[in-house]
Amino acid sequence: MLHLLRLEIKKIKNYRPFQVMALLYLIALPASLLVTKSLPEEVGMFFGSQGFYTFPNVWRFLGYIGNWIGFFFLGFMGVLSITSEYGNKTLRQNIITGLSRKDYFSAKVIFIAGVSLAATVYFFIVGTAIGLVHANPFYFDVYTQNLGYIPRFFLMCFGYMSLGLLMGTLVRRTGFAIFIFLAYGVFIESILRGIHLYYTEHRSCIFYPVNAMEDLTPIPFPDMANEMIKEMEFHPFLSPTEAIITSSIYTAIFLFGVYRLLMKRDL
Amino acid sequence: MTVLETNELSKSYGRIKAVNKLSLKVEKGQILGILGPNGSGKTTFLGMVLDIIKKDSGNYAWFGGQYGAYSRKHLGALLETPNFYPYKNAVDNLDIVAHIKNVKNPRIDELLEIVNLAHRKDSPFRTYSLGMKQRLGIAGAMIGNPDVLIFDEPTNGLDPQGIAEVRNTIVEIANQGKTIIMASHILDEVEKVCTHVSIIKNGNHLASGSVGSIISDDVQVEIAAANMDGLKNILSNDSRISQLEEKEGKIILYVDQEFSTAEINQIAHNNGITLTHLVAKAKSLESEFLEITSKN
Repeated sequence: MLHLLRLEIKKIKNYRPFQVMALLYLIALPASLLVTKSLPEEVGMFFGSQGFYTFPNVWRFLGYIGNWIGFFFLGFMGVLSITSEYGNKTLRQNIITGLSRKDYFSAKVIFIAGVSLAATVYFFIVGTAIGLVHANPFYFDVYTQNLGYIPRFFLMCFGYMSLGLLMGTLVRRTGFAIFIFLAYGVFIESILRGIHLYYTEHRSCIFYPVNAMEDLTPIPFPDMANEMIKEMEFHPFLSPTEAIITSSIYTAIFLFGVYRLLMKRDL
Repeated sequence: MTVLETNELSKSYGRIKAVNKLSLKVEKGQILGILGPNGSGKTTFLGMVLDIIKKDSGNYAWFGGQYGAYSRKHLGALLETPNFYPYKNAVDNLDIVAHIKNVKNPRIDELLEIVNLAHRKDSPFRTYSLGMKQRLGIAGAMIGNPDVLIFDEPTNGLDPQGIAEVRNTIVEIANQGKTIIMASHILDEVEKVCTHVSIIKNGNHLASGSVGSIISDDVQVEIAAANMDGLKNILSNDSRISQLEEKEGKIILYVDQEFSTAEINQIAHNNGITLTHLVAKAKSLESEFLEITSKN
């Protein structure tokens, strides 16, 4: 396992587009939360009076922001990690050199799990740092509230990267794969859910992959959410447990899809 | 020891049969040339035994199947143009090959010396010329010093100097007693390097054997005279001539080796015909190849 992880790390060494995505993630995660400091106070009050930066709220706000940033940058990294190998034909070369197709697949899964883990550790460090700076005073039991966000954040990263890997494997061309990945996450799924809702008027319309992964670290504005709940006849968000189960199932399906494609295709 | 054995290996692309029930056996120490015109299925065949192209039916085994899914770690292969990470230099690229093959001490600098790339080892692969890329591919195939090497059109697209360099490298490898499987449509190349040949066309296996056995003992004799019809008449009944054809103002005789040109000249002279042209040609792999592929 370590052998395959080390192989993948060697591959991305001096691969610029991947490094740029990683750097953007590292910058954007804290920056997107801290940029709210420049908002006028009234806007801040509208979103909730407890503040964005103190424990335990910081997990919710940073988690929600991380959801967007993770979708873009980690998702792109998932796409790139396979399309670059299709483009350079190094996937084909890896197999000729001696990697079995199964090992190639395992290496990619181990790699995205590793990147997701690193992204989660970073999330934990940034959240802790922002929370500590703004804690006045620091209570350990407050700090540990909402820590369930951390494993859910990992699942979210891993889910988006798996979706990226699937899109990359399906489409093979970097630009087009990123376009499809974005299009699906940003509007295709919403349209599908809209059609689903229109015909069934049933809560099942929220059990879609990107929506489920979003609800792992859901929208952190309870007041807004309550408004939406009143308008609809059912609860429009997945509970954490529902989100965990649903995302895990979709992630498994995505990875199975990648596995099938890699095992069956001519390279 | 059998290095590779295939049994009725087949692959179709739609209605086109790229490889049709190809059965081959490669023994240790052989240098097998797989010969065939462009598009005859050579690359598809090699792609299947290297698991980058999925077979439709049939099967194959490397080394009697003893390494299972990891048999390719015991081979070195260069299929068409080599593919490396364009943003990495020669050393890092070969390091990845060594990593995949679990080679602890790959002696990368030594290999780069052999393929004459040491002076460019720190440049990214994308800055290499085609010949340099091909040479790095050969270095990649030699990582871990495998006993079996596979080359597919190794000199394709190279300039004469590049062709000579690559060919010399292959001959050097061959002299080390390694098994080589080489696909090519360049007969001269195969004749110079190989001990055995297999000829395929349109995915069908036409002939196999040692280079000596493929090239038959028949000799071709070209003759011409002013009285062509008379010449044909006196020779057409001779049993030592297996075939006689007229082409471009000359008669081509396929004769066995005992029938010397002196005798032919004597017979013509005795019948009052003076030959204006008399040339004996030993058959080359090229003429044999053209004969085999045009018959089928």
